[in-house]
This record gives sequence, C-alpha cells and structure tokens, in this order.
Amino acid sequence: MPLRPARIGRVGVIGHPVAKTAVVAKAVTPGPAPIAKTAVVAAAVTPGRRRRRI
Amino acid sequence: MTNTALDELGPVDYLVVEFPAGASNFTGEMVEELLSLVDAGTIRVIDVLILTKDENGSIEAAELSDLADLGPLQTIEAQLAELLAEDDVVNLAAAMDPGSTAGVLIWENLWAAPFASAARRAGGQLIANGRIPIQAIIASIEADDDSLSEGE
Repeated sequence: MPLRPARIGRVGVIGHPVAKTAVVAKAVTPGPAPIAKTAVVAAAVTPGRRRRRI
Repeated sequence: MTNTALDELGPVDYLVVEFPAGASNFTGEMVEELLSLVDAGTIRVIDVLILTKDENGSIEAAELSDLADLGPLQTIEAQLAELLAEDDVVNLAAAMDPGSTAGVLIWENLWAAPFASAARRAGGQLIANGRIPIQAIIASIEADDDSLSEGE
C-alpha cells in the first residue's frame, strides 16, 4: 500500500532512526501482572509524598 | 499558519505501538479510548500510519484510509494533517522487530497548549522534555529500598 503522494519527497520531522525503548518494552512484556510493584509506584507518585534526599 | 496560531499550538508528540506477530488482540477498545481523548479536547490527532515490517526487514506503510472498515475512526481520518513524510516512515520503523505491525500516532497535546503558550509569553524556551518510564520509577524505588536495608 503506497503512501499518499503528499508524503513523498518532503523533509521528515523525526530526523533520525528511532531506537526501541528497551525499558518500556520490558514493562509491556506479557507475564504476571506486577501488582505489588504497581502499588509501590502509585505510592511514589502520590501527591504530597516527597522522597528527595540530599 | 499565523504567528498567533503558532503561539497557541500545543506540544506535538508521537508514539509507535508495536504488535508482535500473533500478539494483536483488537477489540475496539483502543479506538474508543483515542476518540474519548479527542472528544474531550485533550488531544488532536495529527497523523496516523500503520507500518508492517516483514522478516527480511522490508517496510510497508498503510494510510488509515486503507483500512477496510474505519468505523468510528472515520472522523479522525478526515481531519489528519499528514505530517509524516516518507523519510519518517523509515526512521520510525527502525524501532520495529521483523515480523511485527505497528501503529504510529502523532498528536497535539491540546491540554498543554495554554500552559506552553503562557510559558512562551513569559519568555521561556523549552530546552528539555521527556517521559519517565514506570520501570525507571520502580528501579529508583528499589535502589532506595536496597540502600536503606544496607544501612540497617
């Protein structure tokens, strides 16, 4: 299925070959649901919970 | 596009969602959620392409309009801006595994436009942006936990 003519010969907007996001790929790999981790992450991003240390 | 319209443009993002061979399970849920975001004015869909990469690495690109039955996607298809060029197809497909199919989505974050516009009017310039994968948050928390247990 060819691209529409308007897409041919134009300068692209992405600019470079895209690399697969390894971390995200790991996160969506089929397997048991990481329930415990989900709870931990949810707690980490809960408003008002600060975890910065100096 | 006028300067005013440019100033009011929200950030534009893209994603490539890969469906490995035999792993796709389309129920229409993705389309429903996408349409919800559009209907709510959260995003504006700028471009959509469907890419396939065969086992030899050859790439095929299909327009949304090439799909046999667009269904509710008809509305989105009619408003696409066709931002992506042929070069972009090659660059985006570089992330795909052989034998997979991927959906490419380009969208404007309408929800962020007023804030971005205000930042520009205040003299701000975007110098970095990005996304923090959940796995990175997990790794950070686990590293914290490890260092705390070592200190006990």
